[in-house]
Amino acid sequence: MSVVTLSPGPPLLEGYRQALGAPALRALEGVARRLRGHRLVMVNSTAAGGGVAEILHRLVPLLNEAGVPTTWEVIEGAPRFYAVTKGIHNALHGQPGALGGEDRDYFREWSRAQAAKLALDGDLVMIHDPQPVALVEHRRRAGQRWVWRCHVDLTHADPEVWAFLAPWVVRYDATVFSAAAFVPALPAPAYLVPPSIDPLSEKNRELEPEAIRAVLERLEVPGRAPLVTQVSRFDRLKDPLGVLEAFRLARRQESAHLVLAGGGAADDPEGSAVLAEVRARAAGMTDVTVLELPPDSHRDINALQRASAVVLQKSLREGFALTVSEALWKRRAVVASAVGGIPLQVMHERTGLLVRSVEGAAYQVTRLLRNPSLRRYLGEAGERHVRANFLLPREARDYLAVFARLLEVGG
Amino acid sequence: MAGFELVSVVHLVRPTGARARNLEGLRAGIAAAAPDCLFYHACQYVLRFHDADELPPNDFAAWVEGVVQDRETAERLAFAAAQESHHLAGLRRALLAVLEAIPENTRLTRDAPEEGEFRFHGVDSVVVPAGLAPGTVDELVEHLRGAEPASLFYHLYERPLLHPEAEDTLEGWVEQQGERALAQWLRDCPRWGLSLEDARRRLVRRWNRSQLRRRLAARAQAPESERRRAGKQAVSRLMDRWRAAGEGESAP
Repeated sequence: MSVVTLSPGPPLLEGYRQALGAPALRALEGVARRLRGHRLVMVNSTAAGGGVAEILHRLVPLLNEAGVPTTWEVIEGAPRFYAVTKGIHNALHGQPGALGGEDRDYFREWSRAQAAKLALDGDLVMIHDPQPVALVEHRRRAGQRWVWRCHVDLTHADPEVWAFLAPWVVRYDATVFSAAAFVPALPAPAYLVPPSIDPLSEKNRELEPEAIRAVLERLEVPGRAPLVTQVSRFDRLKDPLGVLEAFRLARRQESAHLVLAGGGAADDPEGSAVLAEVRARAAGMTDVTVLELPPDSHRDINALQRASAVVLQKSLREGFALTVSEALWKRRAVVASAVGGIPLQVMHERTGLLVRSVEGAAYQVTRLLRNPSLRRYLGEAGERHVRANFLLPREARDYLAVFARLLEVGG
Repeated sequence: MAGFELVSVVHLVRPTGARARNLEGLRAGIAAAAPDCLFYHACQYVLRFHDADELPPNDFAAWVEGVVQDRETAERLAFAAAQESHHLAGLRRALLAVLEAIPENTRLTRDAPEEGEFRFHGVDSVVVPAGLAPGTVDELVEHLRGAEPASLFYHLYERPLLHPEAEDTLEGWVEQQGERALAQWLRDCPRWGLSLEDARRRLVRRWNRSQLRRRLAARAQAPESERRRAGKQAVSRLMDRWRAAGEGESAP
């Protein structure tokens, strides 16, 4: 049986209580009270690496502390299984690639074998992502509530691959997605649980000014002019060239320094091409720094965001864009495109500024550079908005509420 | 007499599948929206922005302002919802009236950029125990002073709006305790378009003021020695406050 054993760490509830105040946790505690006597099982495909495992490492202890006994089971992988599920993953993201008949049979057979090895014995079972989706065929008993938590953007899913998975997905009692754009038509309720940031993590916890200065020095980012920063991978949909152009227009009126920081270019051929294009376009612009950061640069990103006067997210398309929540949590003034999940985080003129063009971005960046009190006002309002809506205890609360709802309507 | 069980609420949001690309799409979507959808977009935002200094506009107005960037229509939608958010049928009428005042051709051309469409959501409410059961109105107000925003929202806004027929209501219980004026204030509160924290502040202030006369009368009945001690304490508190204010003024 593949149950993940988590090493004991500092009490999370207490940490959040200190960081956020007791009222922020009362709803989580309230739903947990409603689920007393029930046991929850989380299932995914890996205990280490990847965003889901990262979330579960915090979420499972938090749910246990809140009073809902929760275990975490992992399906075993094998090279062929990983190859098949990688193909499924890519196809769900819209990349071409067929899933052959043999691969389909293998996926079914492997899932059946895994179901025999796992306990899956909670009253409540949450299956994360497509790899273990077929386990729903092997419900242990009537009355169990099964929820499929899809972290994948299905907007451009390959229809054939989705048709292969859908017969399992429709057998769940409910599904959970991160953003409305990802939700396909399904018979059972599909709930939106926006992703969250962890205020106690390396990327988001408070940093001393001295630590921020040290990071800027190491990254060779000059500290004299106010920083305008966009943190995102080098991807055309993040519009880094549009950011450069907006900054070029803005600096005609106000001096500042632009930082374009991102990662993932090394193992992504298109990312490398975009990064090269960005570097070529920025060549000769002495007030622009382009940084390619390793994937574990959480502290560096934290410091860059905290050091910025303005944080940009000038994407052309977005899923949820958690970088916006990260910046707002740090009380930064944000200028962002009105796409995807961004308008949920940025309320125009209230928690940030929404734009829809290069000129709009240039105008709003200039406006913010000239107006420190507006930056402060938007940053403080943005922090309050994130505190209320986009932190990890809220995500935990929502998962429990989905099960409470299923128990309520199912009797 | 039995205490009042405070509850809280978690809102599970589900997309309805309806979308709007322009003001005409918004009009059609509002006309067809289920009550929980209208509730989510034009009332529940009070909870999402519970501690905003100033309550932002509802989701429809926010989209028209921030994404479509038609400020005049956004202002009208914000005003309409703020006036009618205590009554779903009136709310729908008011929002539609704003949009229908714009010629259809114009509604079609005032649109969102690619990827910026408005998505309509409904909501399932999961009511959970707050773990608090005040036995007196004084205790109730004390609990509400520190209650989590969702609990305050449920009792002040959501329950009256979505379950007007419910019997065990907060205001009903307050009335049973003999506090008719406060019960009426609770009934009227959703009409005023207040932010949640503003409503909380006003509720506590109103209750404290209403209790002032009662407390003074009770103190007047107290023995002379106790009244003297209370008087000295009051003067001492006043001096502390002046001193603190003075220090604040001289601070750099």
